[in-house]
Amino acid sequence: MSFRIPIGPYHPALEEPYKLELLCDGETVRDAVMNIGFNFRGIEYLAERRNYLQGITLVERVCGICSNVHSLSYCQAVEQLTGAEPPERALYIRVILAELERLHSHFLWSGVAAKLIGFKTIFMTCFTLRERVMDALSTISGNRVNYGMNCIGGVNRDIADPQAVLNILDELEREIGHTILPIFLHDRSVEARCKGVGILTTEQARAMGAVGPLARASGIGQDMRKAAPYCAYDRIEFSVPVETTCDVRARLVVHALEMVESCHILRQALRALPAGPICAKTSSAGRFKVPAGTAISRAEAPRGEVLYQITSDGTDIPSRVRVRTPTFMNMATVRHAVIGQELADSPLIQASCDPCYSCTDR
Amino acid sequence: MNTAPENFVQTLHESGLGDGWEWKNGSWWITPEAMDVRATAARMISLEARFVAITAVEREDKEIRLDYQWDWNGQLLSFTTATTEQRIPTIADLTPAADWAERETREYFAVEFTGRESTEPLMTRAGDPIGINLRKEAVK
Repeated sequence: MSFRIPIGPYHPALEEPYKLELLCDGETVRDAVMNIGFNFRGIEYLAERRNYLQGITLVERVCGICSNVHSLSYCQAVEQLTGAEPPERALYIRVILAELERLHSHFLWSGVAAKLIGFKTIFMTCFTLRERVMDALSTISGNRVNYGMNCIGGVNRDIADPQAVLNILDELEREIGHTILPIFLHDRSVEARCKGVGILTTEQARAMGAVGPLARASGIGQDMRKAAPYCAYDRIEFSVPVETTCDVRARLVVHALEMVESCHILRQALRALPAGPICAKTSSAGRFKVPAGTAISRAEAPRGEVLYQITSDGTDIPSRVRVRTPTFMNMATVRHAVIGQELADSPLIQASCDPCYSCTDR
Repeated sequence: MNTAPENFVQTLHESGLGDGWEWKNGSWWITPEAMDVRATAARMISLEARFVAITAVEREDKEIRLDYQWDWNGQLLSFTTATTEQRIPTIADLTPAADWAERETREYFAVEFTGRESTEPLMTRAGDPIGINLRKEAVK
């Protein structure tokens, strides 16, 4: 018997507001239709009616999880237009913020995944560790969510005590090594629950333009930090984990190993933090001019590539601000990943794509 | 900041992607005369490039400039073209990655992508007006 099951936009099986209509034969999903836009705020429209400084504050609110990467990408695009070059110390601080953001986002994702797998102990562990990352972010920026760190030409705040962050990092690395990695990489219950579930083939991922950990779990090894380095990433050694089994387990492995790599990056950046100013000098009035033109900035958000395209007509308000977020590309892949799967697995499969609808809908 | 690799213009030329490429502010740009968006998409797919985005920009003549962005080996390639009477052929049948981008562009800039089987609303709901970013009621 066939069923059409509408789920969402607000439903206990969903971590985010969207609507999924599953067409099922018995317990098997035959097709899926996705509806989004429930968080649509018209941020691109709003950004084209605010000046460049107001725009930084606005785009930081595109997302409540990866807020930093939005202001970073926005500032990088404006810096290309203005020619403002952030000092070395600012570039390293940007890396540190970006990796702390990646860590707390991945801990959140891992906790949600663990809960849906049925491993609530790990859910608690992940969220406890996430709190420690939030502590580090709060220590640096004074904020837990929207850090207000990026400005055009650098960063707003210095890292006064790198050792305090290194101490938190010691704790995180120890717990990741003792708890997260053994469970996500070697636990038989987790493997049995996730292996072969929610397959997104390499060909499907490529055709759908998938990015980030989702694409890397489907054998596509691109990471903007390596492919098109920005900030100080070209001066830091790290690996890009890639899995080829294309299932939920591959996404668990990629996320877990990326947390390890983020710790490596953080340790290098904190130890190599160069002395000097944290922001490029502006004119004597503290103002800058944005010449007419178009610039594009890409960065590797926790969920994958973010793109900002900013067009200036020479005034203090951008004539066009384009924001392309990773989940906008990734979420349409859910249809491919759920077809042929058990209905009961669909919440885990959707969550494994790490949806963020605040980003997607903008 | 991302910079251009040496000799990449030559690589683009040898790959049949035309001449006239210019590296500017984070992307390679080309504005082909009478660009065939479908032939360009087919060529990019054959090169295993990844579709990234369509960026629409309003022009003074009421047509919409469209930048089709593709990632090819870590390099961002932007093909710039424009609508004719606010219409342009779809590429969503060639690359499903463009489906949401075309639907979103329709809602933001009222561009009609011809040849699509359907254009279901993405961010808005059925019956809502299109052309959100073209609205002028806000004072600049």
